[in-house]
Amino acid sequence: MEELVNELKKYLIEALNLEEMTPDDIDSDAPLFGEGLGLDSIDALELIVILDKNYGIKLSSPAEGKNIFRSIRTIAAYVAEHRTR
Amino acid sequence: MSGRQWSGNTFGNGWMHRGLVSVLRHVDVSVLYAFSAVFIVPFCLLFWREGRRSSYSFFRKRLGYGRLKSARMTYSNHLKFAEIVIDRFAMYAGRTFGMEVEGLEHFNALAAGKEGFLHLSSHIGNYEMAGYTLVSEDKVINAVVFSGEKESVMKSRGDMFSRTNIRMIGIREDMGHLFEIDNALAEGNIVSFPSDRYMPGSRMLRCRVFGAEASFPQGPFSVATMRGLEALAVNVMKAGRKKYVIYVTPLHYDRTLSRRQQMQHLLEAYAAELEKRVLQYPDQWFNFFDFWK
Repeated sequence: MEELVNELKKYLIEALNLEEMTPDDIDSDAPLFGEGLGLDSIDALELIVILDKNYGIKLSSPAEGKNIFRSIRTIAAYVAEHRTR
Repeated sequence: MSGRQWSGNTFGNGWMHRGLVSVLRHVDVSVLYAFSAVFIVPFCLLFWREGRRSSYSFFRKRLGYGRLKSARMTYSNHLKFAEIVIDRFAMYAGRTFGMEVEGLEHFNALAAGKEGFLHLSSHIGNYEMAGYTLVSEDKVINAVVFSGEKESVMKSRGDMFSRTNIRMIGIREDMGHLFEIDNALAEGNIVSFPSDRYMPGSRMLRCRVFGAEASFPQGPFSVATMRGLEALAVNVMKAGRKKYVIYVTPLHYDRTLSRRQQMQHLLEAYAAELEKRVLQYPDQWFNFFDFWK
């Protein structure tokens, strides 16, 4: 699981141009939106695309996304269970 | 109406909009143009300070016109805006306009492919008039629209577009629009974004346009480069009393660069096209706020 968490952090850093950050700088349990990493709605779309392109996971509803995108760890848990590649 | 940001919805309430559509079923647009020129536009210039100031400042500072010409263009700018609003309601009322497309081959080439692509529009001219003309048999056009728009305008748009393969995606708080945008592109359809109006609080990109740096929304450029999609600038300009020209221009960006550089590349191509069309039709610049603040 930790390997997947780190992999997700790397994808996130690359997609969101957080070039000054390393995976270690991102708290795996911190909220992604609002007070945590401070991501916005377009960043959520980046996450949707990361899951689709890298793990073959297609999310289809905001309610589903809201639960999955709570933190890097919740995303990793969902990916581990639902990935098709 | 704040200094930096325009609310972005159409003036007037529901019964005014419905009334205007009813009037335009029986009265030619020329009558309403004349009424606007004599009554509405002078009233707006007198009492809508922000619109008057931003318009005058655009001609004076950004286009470098003299004082007299800037004042004349400010009137012309407001009148043109009134005319394009009238034309829009005339279209809802079933009136037709002469439409010419420059660069249709670019749209057709992408529409014939399997991949989804983007239309990047601007608040210049009258993009909505492209609704009937620039259509694809195989791909649905999903227009991302501001959800704060008046219900009557949204209903008229809905009624009009129900006869075409154009759908609207309203920006919503629950991020549902993101799923709709992503699904539309993943299914090979078209998504259309107004790309020149940055909303405070959201991520932005900076680019020089008309000689000074301005903020643009990162969203449309991010969505395009996320999946390496093709993007077209689509600007619909009023070229005569009842004639519009749709300009379709491919926007190129280097996909080997980093994501940030790709977005910047794409934005610069978009901004160059925006400048080109505004210089061609200077009185059709409709960002009535301090765009360069």
